[in-house]
Amino acid sequence: MTRLDGKRCLVTGGSRGLGRAIGVAFARRGAQVAFTYSTDDADAEDAKRAVAEAGSEPLVFKGSVADAAHARATADAVAKAWGGIDVLVCNAAVTQILPISLLDEADWDLVMDVNVKGTYLFVRAALRHMIRQKRGAILTIGNFASERVIEAPVHYAASKSALRGLTEALAREVGRHGVRVNLLAPGLLERGLSQTLPQHRVDEFTDQSALHRLGGLDEIAELAAWLVSDDASFVSGSKLVADGGL
Amino acid sequence: MVQGRLLHETTTLCRVCKNALPARVVATEAGEVWMQKACPTHGEQEVRLSTSADWYERTRALIPRAAPPPHSKKPVQHGCPFDCGPCPSHAQRVRMPVVTITSACDLDCPMCYVHNKNDGAYFMSQAEFRGVLDHLLESSGGDVDLINLTGGEPTLHPELPALVAMCKAAGIHRVSVCSHGLGLLRNDALLDRLAELGTRIALSFDTFDGATDKKLNGTKSVAQKLEVLRRFDRVGLDTTLIPVVTRGYNDHEIGRILALGLQLACVRHIEVHTMTYTGQGGVHFDRSGRISMIEVLERIAETTAGLLAPDDFVPSPCAHPLCYQIAYLLVDPAGGKPIPFTRFLDRDTLYACLGDHLYLEPGPRLERAMQDAIDRLWADGKDERTLRLLDALLRQLFPRKPLSPAEALRISERAVKAIYVHSHMDEETFDVERAYQCCDSNVYPDGVTVPVCNYNVLYREKEARFMLEPRAWGSRSGGRRSLPLLGGGRA
Repeated sequence: MTRLDGKRCLVTGGSRGLGRAIGVAFARRGAQVAFTYSTDDADAEDAKRAVAEAGSEPLVFKGSVADAAHARATADAVAKAWGGIDVLVCNAAVTQILPISLLDEADWDLVMDVNVKGTYLFVRAALRHMIRQKRGAILTIGNFASERVIEAPVHYAASKSALRGLTEALAREVGRHGVRVNLLAPGLLERGLSQTLPQHRVDEFTDQSALHRLGGLDEIAELAAWLVSDDASFVSGSKLVADGGL
Repeated sequence: MVQGRLLHETTTLCRVCKNALPARVVATEAGEVWMQKACPTHGEQEVRLSTSADWYERTRALIPRAAPPPHSKKPVQHGCPFDCGPCPSHAQRVRMPVVTITSACDLDCPMCYVHNKNDGAYFMSQAEFRGVLDHLLESSGGDVDLINLTGGEPTLHPELPALVAMCKAAGIHRVSVCSHGLGLLRNDALLDRLAELGTRIALSFDTFDGATDKKLNGTKSVAQKLEVLRRFDRVGLDTTLIPVVTRGYNDHEIGRILALGLQLACVRHIEVHTMTYTGQGGVHFDRSGRISMIEVLERIAETTAGLLAPDDFVPSPCAHPLCYQIAYLLVDPAGGKPIPFTRFLDRDTLYACLGDHLYLEPGPRLERAMQDAIDRLWADGKDERTLRLLDALLRQLFPRKPLSPAEALRISERAVKAIYVHSHMDEETFDVERAYQCCDSNVYPDGVTVPVCNYNVLYREKEARFMLEPRAWGSRSGGRRSLPLLGGGRA
């Protein structure tokens, strides 16, 4: 099993779904885990318990990732508590199932604010500590919606495409500081987006994918753990699509 | 006999002996449709089928989507309609399974179209019901979206909640229970339990007028029915309103009944039935009240102040086109006039969307149709209100935190209400062309299924469960062995 012993990890959007699974997977591998969430206190409590049971008493922060002050305060608090930040996973994201004809400016702004600006803000906040340390790993969470020609809300697909550009350019820029930056793009998973889609859309995905099934949260969390671990020390600026072979 | 142009020939029943007879269906000079037949014993007979030959011809020209049952239960022996089970000629699989769970009823409605038996009443056991569900699921490949429990009065069945729970456990999401509702006024525990189980009550509601209620149902229960509905609304018990329409009795009230259904949050659908002259009450009821499908649609148009026109209704592709007429309406939560789907979807598209199930279900066809409609409304920019309502519905259906399928169904059925008009047949109007395309069937624990009109006219009277003196099997003749081909047309 990939080990993350002693690594100080911050996961955004860690109270449910993939973010929660990543927190648990990291804790199980010996990491210290901090996570953020935006609204649901009960979910956050539940995730906190799960991460603790996996081996790390987590630091938990409530706020919007699109809030610059929250991003700065969170990164500083983690660094202060643990003496630095080794891993940042930018997982927090929102989506809406809307056709372009109903997608108004506020919808566009919301998705771009959370998915793109939120990533930028947390990257910038955590990077200061990583550059100081001369090491770090940043993982952005993309989506197969930006990698394949599929039916997806255009603002969501656009936001995930933006993360690909952000990841590649950032990897080039901060590699000289020992910071690796990668993007992990999952397909449709058992939890999250698949639960909001009509069943026939989910069936269409499983029918067309090589593995004929949805992805498991743990399967993606495994990949995330590997990408931020020292086992992937020569991997940067890369994109890993895990969509069951679509 | 009236003179007229031959529209088609078919097989019907004698109104007296119920033997099968050849029939001619003709359009008269006055533009009406009549069925004509002659029984060797009981003489010539004729009955009006429709007041509009134009509507009848146009509607009958549609071909239902072929979806035969996966296997037949009985060979063709006596001919249609005497070999039900189904026989190999039957052209539609069961979309609306109807399970008669009891013969007991505490009312004696003059219009009742079934036979009940209270002495030594029959109550279906859970083991029998399990047999019904197992056969249904097996014959549909697990795709059973609705089931209807009827009687008698099903709320008198002591194990009703357990039967509903069995349906839910089998994955059936629309479990309806036909009821006059009066028992639920006296039994809060049952009311709460049925609500908790997500049952929907198919509530008979025929009139707002006490005198009419007395004529139709032998009771004056309007105030109680309204109180039942208030309670349903309070506990969140979903409801289908079922008015049975009879000319000269309550056809002038239909708009008011629809308005009530559209206004109450608990009402998910309204299913209007035309009066049928079968069963312990119906067979003796005043036959001048016979009303045809197009007349019901016209009454709806007249009594809803233009909310709905006959062309807002389409047939079901799962049944003979003369049996069902269906309209869907987008409800405005702000209290504006509901908007029929045909104002933003063309009739052919709505008809196609109804192709897989009796009720609209989420699916690629419906999703694409709604997406196309939204895009068109947006591009045209002429109907902001409809676009706004669809926008709000979509946002409710896809919030950030996923909804359960039951939550999504409830939201969509509160925002979109359906009006179904269902025309049943009796021995006078019986037409095997309609019978062999029927998708509503009484279902039995051994897997036998019998289309509901055939059941009401011919089969129920032979069952000891429902009759003190059941008729003998195989006592009638003249069934049709080769079934007619249908024409082709557009919705």
